[in-house]
Amino acid sequence: MAETMSVVLNVNGAGRSVSVEPRKTLADAIREDLGLTGTHLGCEHGVCGACTVLMDGEVVRSCLMLAVQAGGAEITTIEGIGAGDDLHPMQRAFSEYHGLQCGFCTPGMILAGIDVVSRNPDPSPQEIREEMGGNICRCTGYQKIVESVQAAAAIMSTEGGSA
Amino acid sequence: MTTTQETRWIGVSAPRREDAPLIRGRGRYIADIEPAGTVHMAILRSPYAHARINGIDTAAAEALDGVYCVLTAADLEGIGDFPTIWRLPGQKESNTPALAPGKARYVGEPVAAVVADSRYMAEDALDLLDVDYEILDHVVDVEAALADGAPVINEDLGDNTIIEYTFPGINALGVAGDIDGAFEEADEIVSGRFKVGRYSGVALETRGLVAEWDDLRQTLTLHSGSQVASLLRTELAAALGIPETSVRILTPNIGGAFGNQWDRYPEDILVSLASMKLGRPVKWIEDRREALQATVHGREQLQEWQLAASSDGTVLGLKGRVLSDQGAHLHSVGIGPAWVTGAAAVNQYKIANYHCDVVGVATNKTPNSTFRGFGGPEAMFGIERMMDKTARRLGIDPAELRRRNMIQADEFPYFSPGGAVYDSGNYPAALAKALEAVEYDKVREEQQSLREQGVYRGIGIASYIHVSGFGPSAILGILDYYTGGYEGSTVKIDPHGRATLYTGMIPMGQGTETTLAQVAADQLEIDIANVRVVWGDTDQTPYTGFGSAGSRSNVAAVAVIKAIEEIKAKAVRIGAGLLEADPDDVAYADGRISVKGAEEMRSLTLADVAQQAYWAHKLPEGEQPTLEATYVYDPANFTTACGTHVAVVDVDIDTGKIDWVKYVVVDDAGTIINPLLVEGQIQGALSNGLGGAMLEEFVYDEETGQLLSSTLMDYLVPSFTDLPDFEIHHLVTPSPHTEGGFKGMGEAGCFPAAPALANAVADALSHLGVEVDQTPVTPSRLWSLIDQAGG
Repeated sequence: MAETMSVVLNVNGAGRSVSVEPRKTLADAIREDLGLTGTHLGCEHGVCGACTVLMDGEVVRSCLMLAVQAGGAEITTIEGIGAGDDLHPMQRAFSEYHGLQCGFCTPGMILAGIDVVSRNPDPSPQEIREEMGGNICRCTGYQKIVESVQAAAAIMSTEGGSA
Repeated sequence: MTTTQETRWIGVSAPRREDAPLIRGRGRYIADIEPAGTVHMAILRSPYAHARINGIDTAAAEALDGVYCVLTAADLEGIGDFPTIWRLPGQKESNTPALAPGKARYVGEPVAAVVADSRYMAEDALDLLDVDYEILDHVVDVEAALADGAPVINEDLGDNTIIEYTFPGINALGVAGDIDGAFEEADEIVSGRFKVGRYSGVALETRGLVAEWDDLRQTLTLHSGSQVASLLRTELAAALGIPETSVRILTPNIGGAFGNQWDRYPEDILVSLASMKLGRPVKWIEDRREALQATVHGREQLQEWQLAASSDGTVLGLKGRVLSDQGAHLHSVGIGPAWVTGAAAVNQYKIANYHCDVVGVATNKTPNSTFRGFGGPEAMFGIERMMDKTARRLGIDPAELRRRNMIQADEFPYFSPGGAVYDSGNYPAALAKALEAVEYDKVREEQQSLREQGVYRGIGIASYIHVSGFGPSAILGILDYYTGGYEGSTVKIDPHGRATLYTGMIPMGQGTETTLAQVAADQLEIDIANVRVVWGDTDQTPYTGFGSAGSRSNVAAVAVIKAIEEIKAKAVRIGAGLLEADPDDVAYADGRISVKGAEEMRSLTLADVAQQAYWAHKLPEGEQPTLEATYVYDPANFTTACGTHVAVVDVDIDTGKIDWVKYVVVDDAGTIINPLLVEGQIQGALSNGLGGAMLEEFVYDEETGQLLSSTLMDYLVPSFTDLPDFEIHHLVTPSPHTEGGFKGMGEAGCFPAAPALANAVADALSHLGVEVDQTPVTPSRLWSLIDQAGG
């Protein structure tokens, strides 16, 4: 058994100490050590965006980071978005506008969408397409994701709502 | 909601019940399943395209702490492999082995497997396996594979020709054409040679499996993303040599399948066998490189077509030869996709004289098998490019040429010389609607003035048929397709009047659960909230004959309708007894069982009758207690979805870059159950179609036989900025063969995408005479074509 290191991961507002091999990715630690399986792995080489999480307010690919590098950072995963039936506007919009099919890219898409709107409260379809280019969806052809993000931005500008 | 009633659900954009967990990150995919005691498998794959395996030294790997077992081909004695389901006469069978037996035939072929405490450790152990490879000459090109002296991939088969199959141009009524006569009579003969690129579904979730063997009960539970769990259960039991009654397949959420998950794979056997050996749950999650190397590829064909036309634009005959690059092994469907290409190539046109030879060819590449569209998009690429070439040769507008040759709305059923029977459609109307939506005449006019300004705008039309709802089982039998074509549905009404629907369909993102709930709620005329759908457990759900592809909702929906017809009939019989009326005077309507003409006074709810059906105190004589029914529906005929797409693009002749101007879809999938989900399917299928038209390609290096595109940085799937907004219009020609009039539509968007794009690009560059006959039309490929044409 390889040697392990201790690190405190602050995820969705709660700190937890985990003991992991230094080579373990942040994505694997989130999924396996914290049991938060909403963070998905689609490529493990930083292209598809399925493993997107927010770290100190920025989008990062948790497959490209080691868990031991994430100590001290504030991490938000999809499980930290919305509470029970009080969904985030981005979640509601994805469902209402059919912005998801198989749902595998969806956690990353929702976090990326929240990130886009947090920086640009009224994004045009073209801006959404450019800003979200780091996340791949194989099911939808993207059009309904763009519509979802636009609709969510409109709701967020009246209701508020951030990660 | 488009209706004021709350009990009619067909045609309504009902919200997806699938979404609630998925938007919260609480979907449950294979990787999320980890029973207590799970150990992890990693697979060693051949790094060579063609190599003899003289020995594998497993000692160091087995000695590593945390490793439980190593499997090599030597451990597979007595274990079978998966047969090809589609065994066309003359097709030389070469099943895909679970582990390469003595010889590896493509890069990525499984050679050995290791099971360890964690995936990290299992991969450490892979590094310690020492394989003695003897590298052999390889071949990764179909024409080279057919040449004299080519390396033979499967020595048992003699050579690399798997099958030569001829479509002689005889329709289902036995009427034969005269292909030679057509070519003698022709004013013009137009030729085309097309390379349809190799690409595939590349679902965002890679494949994965968790096998749980219970040695005391002698049962195997396999968590799998298979689209066709019933068939996997049957075949896995046979391969492992255990009773099928011992095998249960559980399906969680699937992160995309696109046909690739229709196939059975070596890993299904490997994880099961490892779990049986170790008595522990064994989990395997494919990594992305494995997914690109070892999940089936699709499409790749080399087509040669000749079209005979008279000067007025009448297509007199079509003949062709299709070489299908099957890769190293026949996978689950044999050369099936290429057969479909031969059957569908006459498309929407009255081409009486037809001949096509389809040749399946083995190469040192990943098996080419099931992928959304299944031979149809390849066929559409050939014929729709040929129609444009013919139009240009004859100086006829490409829309007009199509119009002159289309099967007319009053000519159905149409007996195609490809052998298919088209059930219904209105092809000219779909074309007209698409041209109107795109403002064809205006765009043509603008094209001229733009060209003078150096803007190269092109318009590409592609019409399509999609033979879906595969198919009457008897016809599958005639085609040597060894499954049935039916779907089963069990509906149970509980004592409170709520419905549970059990389906063998496997949802994989299309919204099947919602769609089938809509059909059930609509037929029972109850609130959709009172319908639960159970799927994904072979211990509970009906056997599915063909397996659920995206285009199967039409068949499964009819099974639901038929089962509910039986339930309503029984409810009427029981209700009549309770109402003390003659059953003939009682009817089911609005979710109630009432005496006709006295609905206000003498009426029971479905719950009233269901409660009585369970108490069974006062049932009519001979009536069985409870209220449930199972119906297995075998379709009467195929259904043919159809339509026309028009792409408008601008081509940058300095870079080969293609910019979208407009993309218009007119589709006809018969009666639509959920319009919002249908739009999602069309857009998604288009992204698959255009991905392969513009970007996606499995590229093999001729020199080394290596797969060069084995990361998502080399294999380019479309991103947000690569695709246009799609403008979608519908025609509705209900299928006359299916209750409800539904047609399969989940794949249709793939069909015309590539030829629409290629026709548009060729049209934009018509002044240079550029022909776009190979996909994907990448910027570099297009730039080379422009450069060669002197542009």
